[in-house]
Amino acid sequence: MSAPNDSGDRPPPSHPGTSAAGGEPVHLRVVNDCPANRGTTASSSPWYLRGLLIISALLSMALFAASFSKVWWKMLLYAPQYPDGLQLDIKLTGMGGDVHEIDLLNHYIGMSHLENAAPTERALAGYGVAAICILTLAFLMLAGKKLNKLVVIPAIAFPVVFLADSFYWLYKFGHELNPRAPIHLPSFTPQMFGNGKIGQFETFGSPQIGFWLAVAGVVCAILGTYLRFHVCKRCHRAGTCGLVCSRGMVLPDK
Amino acid sequence: MRALTLVGITILATGVVSAGIVVGCENQHLAQQQAVSGGGGSGNLGASASIQQLMKERGLREADVTAALKTYVPTGKMDEYYLFTSGGQSGNVNVIGVPSMRILKVIGVFSPESWQGWGYGGDSNKIIEKGAQGPHRLYWADTHHPNLSEMKGDYDGKFLFINDKANARVAVVDLEDFSTKQIVANPLAASDHGGTFVTPNTEYVIETSQYPAPLGREYAPLDQYKDKYRGVVVFWKFDRTKGRIDPAKSWAIELPPYTQDLADAGKLDSDGWAYINSLNTELATGGTLQGKPPIESGASQNDMDYLHVINWKKGEELVNAGKTKTIAGMRVLPMDVAGAEGVLTLVGEPKSPHGCDVTPDGKNVVVGGKLDTHVTLYDTAKMKSLIEQKKFEGKDIYGLPVMGFKDAVTGQVEIGLGPLHTVFDDKGNAYTSVFIESVVAKWSTKDLKKPVEKLKVHYNIGHITAAEGDTVSPDGKYVVAMNKMSMDRFLPVGPLFPQNFQLVDISGDKMQLLADLPIGNSEPHYAQMIKADKLKPLKVYKPGTNPYTDQIDPNRVEGGKERIVKNGNKVEVFMTAIRSHYVPDQIEVDEGDDVTLHITSLESAEDQTHGFTIDMYNVHVSLEPGKHDNISFKADVPGTFPFYCTEFCSALHLEMAGYLLVKPKQH
Repeated sequence: MSAPNDSGDRPPPSHPGTSAAGGEPVHLRVVNDCPANRGTTASSSPWYLRGLLIISALLSMALFAASFSKVWWKMLLYAPQYPDGLQLDIKLTGMGGDVHEIDLLNHYIGMSHLENAAPTERALAGYGVAAICILTLAFLMLAGKKLNKLVVIPAIAFPVVFLADSFYWLYKFGHELNPRAPIHLPSFTPQMFGNGKIGQFETFGSPQIGFWLAVAGVVCAILGTYLRFHVCKRCHRAGTCGLVCSRGMVLPDK
Repeated sequence: MRALTLVGITILATGVVSAGIVVGCENQHLAQQQAVSGGGGSGNLGASASIQQLMKERGLREADVTAALKTYVPTGKMDEYYLFTSGGQSGNVNVIGVPSMRILKVIGVFSPESWQGWGYGGDSNKIIEKGAQGPHRLYWADTHHPNLSEMKGDYDGKFLFINDKANARVAVVDLEDFSTKQIVANPLAASDHGGTFVTPNTEYVIETSQYPAPLGREYAPLDQYKDKYRGVVVFWKFDRTKGRIDPAKSWAIELPPYTQDLADAGKLDSDGWAYINSLNTELATGGTLQGKPPIESGASQNDMDYLHVINWKKGEELVNAGKTKTIAGMRVLPMDVAGAEGVLTLVGEPKSPHGCDVTPDGKNVVVGGKLDTHVTLYDTAKMKSLIEQKKFEGKDIYGLPVMGFKDAVTGQVEIGLGPLHTVFDDKGNAYTSVFIESVVAKWSTKDLKKPVEKLKVHYNIGHITAAEGDTVSPDGKYVVAMNKMSMDRFLPVGPLFPQNFQLVDISGDKMQLLADLPIGNSEPHYAQMIKADKLKPLKVYKPGTNPYTDQIDPNRVEGGKERIVKNGNKVEVFMTAIRSHYVPDQIEVDEGDDVTLHITSLESAEDQTHGFTIDMYNVHVSLEPGKHDNISFKADVPGTFPFYCTEFCSALHLEMAGYLLVKPKQH
């Protein structure tokens, strides 16, 4: 299963423990932690590290997938006439809540209808999430040592792109007001985080479950990257594997 | 690796911090709201000192302060009960909150009500026209007795029925939107009073005639009064799923011309029975100009009048068996058949009776007497068995069986001068309005002794109502005395005085008078009080709803599909209303065109109501969120007609307007 069958081009380990059959974790940990062995021998990483890697990779994908249908961001708008507030729920594919009423109010200041926001992004969101899931999984499972510090990038990019794109559309909406609207307001950007004020409305923006699921997915991806880093470190092919890991990180080294 | 971990932590931290900001802000917002609503709160000691000061300044006694504390409902809080009162001569229904005694709404029913656009050109006209009695459109009504729909003898908060005494009509109000849905005209009677009263599961809405007349409104000279004039009780079949009365399934029982008065349906033990009193067994018809006594004395000669005891379940069977004759399109069970089959039986009642109220357990009917000092309790079970055994004392002049008074009663209670109506609490107590004495008399239905307490009211109390007081489970919290006179209670407003509703707390051992409410638009009669949480009213309509049909209107207009369709001299305008404009806002027609405006409100937010009016054409509708209405008129007046929104809808409300141009014919 592990060290005893190691037949790479490096010399066999000198420590007698490594040739014992079974490769119990405790034993291995002792070996791996032995300063004498660092950098000199590449034993296969323990099974639980690889197991955790698989779990975190799958979990990351699952969390991203789960975030797809959930509300990512919530805007609450309070005014004297709306004591219970108006609510805008932002999902990756569209908007929910009091869209009709918010549009109705926005027409007074000449703001575009919410359905005109991010049409391409919303149409492609499904493919985007699928791509990110696949990329994250593939990167975590297959990236060789040269790539393994970058594997987390698509995952992190997911919520970051959402935030950036949302900000872009908020900016665009607040800066492209119809000049023929009944009420003329100077250009503004609606507050995305925390509280803001537009006219008589106090607004509160906050991330919701969808966003947090994605963040949790990112955390899993980071954990996976960390595990990956450790697994690679112990791999005797690490110096030569290139971009893609031939063992898929799941299989033990041979 | 360390770098990556840092990135992760940073992202996490950003998320947590941003969430913190948001949560913090929401709390701050709530705190602000609380600060606003709780403004001016001072310490207890300061409050009590300032209350003493206030009491002194305003000359208030401790009881006044208690009453104020029991009734005051601060802003943002809700009342505990709805009080639905007849609007009397206004022809409408008043909705009042209890205990604050604030008027919440006036529901347009029989009379045009311009705020709601009830009867001003929209589809509400169709309901009023369909409920017309005779060839003319009626512009008023005398509403008397509102009755809430029941299930198992308890209010279910779904519907309200009310009668028009003047024109013998019954209306159905849906409590989902507080809107009148139907008016049915009684084809047999000339006026009604013993209605509306519902049976315990609202199978039927009972409407009994008042002033006898030939059934079906035929002509007959008054000297044929005994033979041709009749009373009648109609059992209007209510279709709960449709929320409408089904006239085709309704039927009636012919009654002797004794001037039937009030009625009530039995419940629990007496379910299947109805009780109606009467006041003119003398068959007096007046003739003051000919030197005959007026009806008031002619009808007050006999010591006894008749309580009519009706087995409506048996009546229903006979009707279904076809033992009816059809008069003016309605199936009527003839008096002789009803008498012979035990459907209609009489029993004496002390003269000039009034009030006819079944106790919550259904075991007794309490009848007051305008000229008697007693209320009489009739034992429903005894009467049932007397009728089953055909144990009668005699017959009236029409051959109807008459039970022995002593055989039928539980007993009598000496109340005072002019006991009228009786309501009940949850402890076996009854509260009777005593007209001449101007008091509410509290007595026990258990021992039938003299009243334990009398509370002065101001003045001339007529009807009385209690919280859920005529159901099988009264709440025992409040009574409202509905006084006919207010005399010295309110600022003078000319020779026509307001009525006075007085709220009484009946939850303690002693009754306490809590508050007065002047009613300055009519003289209401009966009222019913229902726990507020039994009602689940709509806040907005489902988009495109026509509330007068309860359907999504086939002509509803969606945003972007507005249009004007001209076809010969017919012009149809498909129009929308939304803050703060109409589409279209320019309409041009030719003089003489038949114009129909189909207007849908595209609003969906609570309380965002628009109106629509065209001057000279007597057109006004209210457009609540989601509502659709159809307005038809003939453009027979040429000219320029600005139309506009009549409900202050927004900051640009005054700009919510347009023009109807009626181009003159070329002569």
